[in-house]
Amino acid sequence: MKITSGTWLILGLLALWEASARLGWVESPNWPALSQVLAALAADMATGELPARIGGSLWRMAAGLAAGGLAGVLTGLAFALIPLTARLFGLVVELLRPIPVPAVIPPLVLFLGLDDPMKITVVALTVFFPVLTNTLQGVQAVEPDSIAMGRTFGIGPLRRAAFIILPAALPAILAGFRVALALALVVTVVAEMIAGEQGIGSYLVLMQFAGRAPEMYGVILLLAALGYTLNRGFVALERRLIRWWYAQARQAA
Amino acid sequence: MRVERLLSPLPGLLVLAALLLGLEWAVDAGLIRRALMPAPSTIALRLWDLLEAGDVWAPMMQTLRLVFTGFAIGSAIGIAAGLAMGWWPAVFRLLEPLVELIRPIPKSALVPPLMLFLGIGFTMKVTSVALVVTFPVLVNTLQGVRGVDRVMLDAARTHGWPARHTLLHLVLPAALPLVLAGMRISLGLAMVLAVLSEMLAGEGGLGFLILDMQRSFRVRDMYAWLVILAVLGLALNWLFVLAERRALHWQRR
Repeated sequence: MKITSGTWLILGLLALWEASARLGWVESPNWPALSQVLAALAADMATGELPARIGGSLWRMAAGLAAGGLAGVLTGLAFALIPLTARLFGLVVELLRPIPVPAVIPPLVLFLGLDDPMKITVVALTVFFPVLTNTLQGVQAVEPDSIAMGRTFGIGPLRRAAFIILPAALPAILAGFRVALALALVVTVVAEMIAGEQGIGSYLVLMQFAGRAPEMYGVILLLAALGYTLNRGFVALERRLIRWWYAQARQAA
Repeated sequence: MRVERLLSPLPGLLVLAALLLGLEWAVDAGLIRRALMPAPSTIALRLWDLLEAGDVWAPMMQTLRLVFTGFAIGSAIGIAAGLAMGWWPAVFRLLEPLVELIRPIPKSALVPPLMLFLGIGFTMKVTSVALVVTFPVLVNTLQGVRGVDRVMLDAARTHGWPARHTLLHLVLPAALPLVLAGMRISLGLAMVLAVLSEMLAGEGGLGFLILDMQRSFRVRDMYAWLVILAVLGLALNWLFVLAERRALHWQRR
């Protein structure tokens, strides 16, 4: 990594954080030094409590991502390929889309309780919309010629959808999933903060109420690292899955 | 053509009506427990009561004020920082690592520490909304500035435009489509954070009401407030798209 003015700025801010707490410039139980935060994080990881909670959160996130993503892709395909379905159900989808996610948690708690099913549903609902939009746009942008060619070769509509349209729309769909992945982590944490005692979100609120600031900041740092890693991992996966698309883009440039 | 345009939302409306009627029937027939999901007609009546008594406005205005203030502050910071980073390479080198460090932190996780420092009042909520709004706007503004046509910039320099003039009258308008796209994403996020911080702070607003009604088992009220929030989200989105179209009228001709 190249050391730039930006790196120095970060190092400077971190040093300022440490010094302001150590030297008593900011005297507040809510303002622990960076080293205390990292020590608290390390201790929480060592007891195994935090890793277990992270595992639970990640599992709920993944389950919601899979369910909502699958529903989004299928609905997007249907809307794009069978215009009647879009005309029938488009309005209902558009009416549900702008509801802020945290607001659907209370009613879902009534139906599904406080545990996994409720949280997975919330994540799935969040993921559904960006994946649907991107699938729709991706399918609509597929070259009509390639579909016509499939028809000429006598390939049936279902196999056309699976082997011509879906791969051609894959870059757009994956872009939708990338957006959805970031949202999924956020919403998992939000759901855990509002309801129940599971996962990393609940731990965060617990530490807030207990006034254990170092643990609280430690969890936030961990979440940032988690979000960053997930995004990087997904981008790497994306590059492998649609290598042909990047190759084409490079050729065109 | 006219008639067709008038009729085009008709299938969607019919499906919506059918869904509501189906729900009404399912509740009446006892297929869905009334304690979980009261009949849509009774929710509509409750909604009417709230509207008639004028109880709707105070919580709605509280949430609206929060969304607007946070959105305005976050957008202003995002646009200013994005312009500066896109325009002066030195500013970019200074701030880019810091932005990349803060961006992946789920902003919802920052609500608990913000509550420790700023209490549960308006300041805390506005800060959390502004934080979530800033980054999408910043990243999009930056991209927009970078995409400005080199030839136009050279032309401005040839005409001896001062830097400030170029920034305000060439770079900002050219970047506007992307800036507004970022703001559209941020508007949805602003609603999410507003509702979440109201739920966690428990001090009024639509988010607080929805959660509070659920916890006190006033399910009909909960759904009524949820409908109000959904309508608000829909209206804000619609207004923004309208404003966006006006601002970009020169683009699609």
